[in-house]
Formats: sequence, structure tokens, C-alpha cells
Amino acid sequence: MSDLKENLKAQIIEQLNLEDLTPADIRDDAPLFGDQGLGLDSIDALEFIVLLDSNYGIKISDPNEGKEIFQSVNTLADYISKHQ
Amino acid sequence: MRIYVTGYGVISSIGENVEETLLALKSEKTGIKQGRKPYTERFKVGEISWTNQELIERFGLTQNASRTALLGMIAAKEAFGEHELSSEVRTGLISGTSVGGMDVSEIAYKDYLKDESDDLNVYKNHSSGTTSEQIAQELGIRGYINTISTACSSAANSIMLGARMLLSGQLDRVVVGGTDGLSQFTIAGFRSLMIFDEEWCRPFDETRKGINLGEGAAFLVLETEETMRKTGKKPLAVLSGWANASDAYHQTASSPEGYGATLAMKSALKVAGLNPADIDYINAHGTATPNNDLSESHGIKTVFGSSVPPFSSTKSYTGHTLAASGGIEAVFAILALNKGILLPNLNFSQAIEETGLIPVKNYSEGHTIKHILSNSFGFGGNNSSIILSAV
Amino acid sequence: MKILAHSYVCPKGTFLNGKLVYDTAGEENPLKSAYQQLGAEYPKFYKMDVLSKMAFIGTELLLPFFPKDADLENDLQLIFANSSASQNTDNLFVESYEQLKNPSPSLFVYTLPNIVTGELCIRHKWYGENCFFIEEAFNPVHFSEWAQMALNKGNNCCLCAWVEAKTNGEQECFLFLLTDSEEEAYSVELELSTLIKQYRNE
Repeated sequence: MSDLKENLKAQIIEQLNLEDLTPADIRDDAPLFGDQGLGLDSIDALEFIVLLDSNYGIKISDPNEGKEIFQSVNTLADYISKHQ
Repeated sequence: MRIYVTGYGVISSIGENVEETLLALKSEKTGIKQGRKPYTERFKVGEISWTNQELIERFGLTQNASRTALLGMIAAKEAFGEHELSSEVRTGLISGTSVGGMDVSEIAYKDYLKDESDDLNVYKNHSSGTTSEQIAQELGIRGYINTISTACSSAANSIMLGARMLLSGQLDRVVVGGTDGLSQFTIAGFRSLMIFDEEWCRPFDETRKGINLGEGAAFLVLETEETMRKTGKKPLAVLSGWANASDAYHQTASSPEGYGATLAMKSALKVAGLNPADIDYINAHGTATPNNDLSESHGIKTVFGSSVPPFSSTKSYTGHTLAASGGIEAVFAILALNKGILLPNLNFSQAIEETGLIPVKNYSEGHTIKHILSNSFGFGGNNSSIILSAV
Repeated sequence: MKILAHSYVCPKGTFLNGKLVYDTAGEENPLKSAYQQLGAEYPKFYKMDVLSKMAFIGTELLLPFFPKDADLENDLQLIFANSSASQNTDNLFVESYEQLKNPSPSLFVYTLPNIVTGELCIRHKWYGENCFFIEEAFNPVHFSEWAQMALNKGNNCCLCAWVEAKTNGEQECFLFLLTDSEEEAYSVELELSTLIKQYRNE
């Protein structure tokens, strides 16, 4: 699980062009969206959907589903481990 | 000085000229169907059934070009109609497009990769600017030719720039509008944004899920009164107001309160010297995405308060024709003005809970319509409103 | 009409009013380097396409030169143009669905040239009019005509740009701030064509 989380952080930084950040800057439970988190927006949420499909073969067809899944690295890792 | 519309032409999935378009509007018949191309077959789209080659033959076009340019030529030719070129009337053309010649480039490129073709001439059609040059060439217009690319407000911005060119005395007459042909590129793009509705789109409905894409083109001929004395043309409508404002919120999403939309509508009213109560019908942008329709509803309520005039989105007829939409909807507005009709918002059943706005549900005639506001909002937060008035 | 200030951003460097401010010649990622030298804290920069990145840097440098009494929030007019629209990003987006099989939303967003003006409006909270034209080459006469129309309707100043990123790697963003003055339009046009030539050759 911790490997998955570390991989995810690296993938998030790469896919979303968060060049100012390193994986160590992203806490497992920190909110990804909104002003208190990484400040990600709706387009980033769509990129997460692409990331899940390309890297983990998981398909999400309704972007609204993403809201729960993409809350933090923890929720994302949890979802991947259950659906892969 | 007033700006008059003295010609109009349109092609979309509901008709290949103004007359057919009016018939389809009257019969409440949508042009949106299950797609018939490899890249559209999974979606409901407002496709024009003719292939590029068929378009050339059917409409007697003299150039082989991209779909965007061909559709533009057809609509511009209809708009220009009996108008004649003369050295005494400085005539320009301003066209809006978002994809340019993408439809032919992407086919040619695939063939090239498969070693099936190496006709590099195709790529000459690719540039957005080329599409306008080709449309102008089809009409014989050689003067001021310009291309605007501001996403879905492109045609509305072309109309606005045309009006200003006339007002500033730089042109005497100008053909303005927009065109966009469907391409795999566009389908892939909107798919990536996950804003397609796999069913028929339902603008301003609580259950709306997203857009159906469409293709088409529309052009208007604008003249000043002085020019009309030379050309002897009769006005179809007055272009009385126009404005553009930035939403400054997000690259693709509209601000929740519809701030840019509000600014555009208010400023257009100011240019026209009208009050909100003077508007008899609003042809809304109404793409049927959850975001646009809620944001636009808030904007409309901010401008019109508790007395929102009859409004509808006609994208349920044509699909969202992107850069062409502002032109196509301007043609609809002129029809509505001259025939006293209110155009329905097809597929509507349930008002958006938050705003409670109910659009025009059925086609009806016999109304006194003096002023119509038409909204076109583009990605990049580029929001435009124009006002067309009865002569 | 007169030019209040101008900037030029290209891979070899960033210039302000004719002077080199960030030398990025030979850098692996010149725009990133210019952004870091600029010191603006705007992480969204990294997500932008090349057009927006260049315009972002060039605009930040022009900020001190906007007229002090201008109502930028409501009255600034943006007039941008280029010849190849968003071709550079268009190609990357095609690659995302042809080769990687998943169309990338963050690339698609930038497949419209006017996202550049949208980005600047978001950054600076500008709600005025903005437009993006496609032309064969930089035409100072058109810019002065468009700007004159804006000034005629009461705008105090116009932020204009020729911002181009071609698929052959050529990149440039020439930004200039125009305002009303007694100066004749043709002298501004002449100055603009001289300036862009100088920038391109430096």
C-alpha cells in the first residue's frame, strides 16, 4: 500500500505538471482539491480519470464519482487497491 | 449610425439554407441523430449528411477545401446572394472558426502514416486563416479579410468586429459569421472533458448532462444606411447591440454566478441604448452542460431580475456548433424578429431547481418581437452578447 | 495613440522595453527558467501551454507600466493574434488520443488560442473585452486599427500581443501596451514593426 501511495504521488506530480512539488510535499491525508489542498481544479480531476485508466486500467464514466475517490492520496490508493 | 443586416445564410443539421431552417424550426424537428462517421457513431451529433465532395457538387463550389471552409462558403454564398461587388462599396469578410481545416488534415495525416497518400497540398487547408481566405475567394471578396478564434463566441465576435469596422468607416459592407466542421479532434476533446450527453441534450433542464456537438456555418451581411443607398438592399434587421467581456474564472468552466455573462449582456444593452424590459426574447447560449446553463441562468436573473423574458436554447435543434453557433443563432433571431416567432427549447421538462427558470417549450407565432438578445460564451471565459432589433 | 511599454519573450531570453532581463539562451527549459527568475508565485504556470507561459511572463513585466488611473478590472482590452492558432498543443493533443489512447483534458483545454487571454484575465482579474485573431504574419496596421476601435469606445488602454508557438520550434511573444495620445497611428505602426525586427534579431 505505501508503495502504491508513493507511486501515485510521483504520477500525480508528473501528470498534473506540479513542478514545484516533490512526493514528500504531498501528505497521504491532505486534501488534493480546494484552496487548503494542492489547489487542483476540475480539469485536474479529469486528468485523474485518465491516470486511473492509463496506469491502473480502472474506468470511471461519471466525473461526479471522482469527488469521493480523489479526496486524498489515501482515498485514491484505497479505491485503486479495491478495484484493480 | 445604425448597422443593418441585409443578407443571411445558414447551413446546419436542420437545413441547408434559411428556408429549410425555418421549416425545421417550425416543425420542432431536431437535426441531432446518432453519428454516422467512425468517430461520431458513439454519440448523438448534429451532422450534415453530405460528404465534402457531395457538398462541392451540390452547391457548385469552385474550391476543394476543408469541411469548415466548404460549409462557410455555402452559408456565405447564401448570405451574399444577390449582392454585387463594386469598387464603390468596400467589402470585407470576417469569419470565426475554432478548428479550421482539422477534418481534412487528420484524414490526410492518417493516410500519410499508412503510406496511402502523400498529398501535402491538403495541409494548405489546415490554417484557420485559410478557411476565411477561401470563403472570401468564393464570393470574390478581396479587401479586408480576417479570422477570429475565440472558441464558441467566435461568430458573435466577428459580428461585433464587423459592426465596428462599419462604424469607424473602414468598410462599407462586411460579411460576418462563423463556421466549424466536425472532426475527430473535436469529438476527442469534448470526450476528454466528459461533457457529452449520450442522449439528446436538454438545455436548462434539471436532468441535463451535457452537450451534443454539431456542425454548420452562418453568415450575415452588414451594411450602413449610406451603403444601402448605393446597394439598394432592404434591411432584414438592425444589429443594435454587442459586447464582449471576460469571465476571468477558469479556462473552460463558467463562474458559478455568471459574472462574465452578466457583464456581456449588460454592456450589449448599453450599446443598444435599451433597458432589460425592452428585450422580447433571449436566444441563450444554453449548451446543456450542468455548468453553463446554471451559470447563464444566474446571469440572466441578475440582468433581468424577476421579469425574465421568454428564452430558449436552440442547441437542442442543431447541437453545439461551436464557432458557428453565434452566427447560426443570429439567423434564428432574425427569423424570430421578422416572423414574430418564439423558438422552443426542445427536450425540456423540468426547471433547474436552483433557478426555477422555464424556457419557451413550444413553437408559436404571432408575437410582437422588437429586440432579441443572443448569447455566445466561449472557453477561455470569452463571453459575447449581441442584440438584433426589428427594422 | 502611443506605446507605453513592450516586452518580448522567446527561448533565448526575455526582454523588457528593448533590454534583456532574463538570459535563457542555452537553457534546457528556457520558459521555466524565466519564470523562476521572475519570481512570481503562480504554480498554475507549470500547467500552461507555451503560448500562455510566454504571455504570462511578458505580461508580469509590463504591469508597472499600466496607466495608474486606468480601471484595468473593467476597461483593459486584450488584443492578441498569431498565425498558427494553437497548432503546437493541437499536435500534442492528437498524440494523446492517437498514441496514448486517452485524450488528455489538460491538453485539450489549450487547443484554443484564446485560452491565453483567458489565463491572463484569470491571473489579473480582468473582466474587459478580449479577442484573438489569426493572421498570416504580424501586422502592426491591424493592431493599431483594432486598438483604435477600442480606444474610441472608451477603453483607456490595450494590451496587445503577437504570440506564436510554431510546430518547428519557433516561439515568440511580443507584447505591447497601447494608450490614447496625440501621436499618429502610423508612427506607432512603424515603431512596432521596427521593434519586432530588433527583438527578432537580438
